[in-house]
Amino acid sequence: MLNVPTARIFPGGIIFFVILFMSGCATLQTDRVRATAGAFPRPVELATVPFYPQEEYQCGPAALATALNWSGVPVTPEQLVSQVYLPERQGSLQLEMIGAARRHGRVPYVLRPELESLFAEVASGNPVLVLQNLSFWWYPKWHYAVVVGFDLPGDRIVLRSGREQRHDIPIELFERTWRRSRYWAMVVLPPDQLPFTAEEIPYVQAVAPLERIARWPEAQTAYAAALKHWPKSLGARMGLGNSRYALGDVTGSEEEFRRAAQEHPEAAAAFNNLAQALADQKKWSQAQAAARHAVELGGPQIETYRDTLKQIETRSEQNAAQ
Amino acid sequence: MEKLRRLAKPVGHLVIFGLLMLSLPFPAAHAGMVGTEAVINAAQVQQDRERLHNVFNRDDVKAQLLARGVDPSQVQARIDSLTDQEVQSLSGKLDQLPAGGDSFLGALVFIFIVLLITDILGFTNIFPFVKHQKRY
Repeated sequence: MLNVPTARIFPGGIIFFVILFMSGCATLQTDRVRATAGAFPRPVELATVPFYPQEEYQCGPAALATALNWSGVPVTPEQLVSQVYLPERQGSLQLEMIGAARRHGRVPYVLRPELESLFAEVASGNPVLVLQNLSFWWYPKWHYAVVVGFDLPGDRIVLRSGREQRHDIPIELFERTWRRSRYWAMVVLPPDQLPFTAEEIPYVQAVAPLERIARWPEAQTAYAAALKHWPKSLGARMGLGNSRYALGDVTGSEEEFRRAAQEHPEAAAAFNNLAQALADQKKWSQAQAAARHAVELGGPQIETYRDTLKQIETRSEQNAAQ
Repeated sequence: MEKLRRLAKPVGHLVIFGLLMLSLPFPAAHAGMVGTEAVINAAQVQQDRERLHNVFNRDDVKAQLLARGVDPSQVQARIDSLTDQEVQSLSGKLDQLPAGGDSFLGALVFIFIVLLITDILGFTNIFPFVKHQKRY
């Protein structure tokens, strides 16, 4: 019976390789952050971030309530259940977490998938909502939590997680669980505050969906905040014009569209919207000139520009006939 | 009668198509205005055909959400808060995308499975129903 010992060793070998495989051999970002000496020398903890202990399966509503309340929206996890929870999956999807934040007039901004961005946001005072897989890919346990603090020299990260108000774990362990969601993280901020790591186009893209659900006042505030940071942003300038127009401030929107057109003479949409705002004030000749210029510039939206021009011509004729 | 029945389906499709065309959502709340989303995403401007596709997508995802137990009074608001791109990335993938909802029961099941495996492999001896081979 010489081969029996090898038969006993074999399963052990499998376990060894399985564990090796599961732990993943790619280098962790933690090492890279540590190598940047003195990047975050002091521990940070946002002690005032509220805590909502989660009910069964409800880490999505609990984490979102934490972020929303911190941003000034008084809402309970129970109220969020019907907005994000997917009963059959016994969980909440990332996109629905984003959508629900918008419904409360907040700007959900998804961070770059880097530990540095996460740390920078927390260090600047913004708690970060993260998606983790607490288990392995073959038995996923997806979990939302909110990072409220970290201590790089001390190798600790602090989360509002599940039923623990201060879930305090080593950074590497956190990264291993966070990496499985491809480093998904977002901040939920009031519209007058930019995320610390915000970039122009992604930020304007994060604000624009507020228009879809007619959150115009918040959209207006957020675009104005973006313009303070990126004064030449075409998207933010157009957004400010569109929000003002939607809120009934036609002359204000005319100003914004005019400025957008001056700063970006190639932006046909700016001339198109300027034409619309001018026509609403019965400034027919100026409106026609702007609409014609939009059609001349053309682009993928040319059909809209042609419609605008035609509409303005008809309206001005009707007006003249009266 | 048989002829009528055969016609019912194409006619029905036409009616649905017509109704959908009536309710095409425009990028901005006002006709003639170019919405901000379209300005930033100049590359993926909504052509009419694409817009129609998005309407179908939205109805699709709505049905998928309802089928997974979402409150019918909430489903419209939930879908409205998403962009066309987001709706598209949800369509047909509701069961594959990660759904954060870590459960305590799940943790127990997980521990049970791990211990069962270690029992079977002979590292632990927790469950009496796991038969261990005799060592020679």
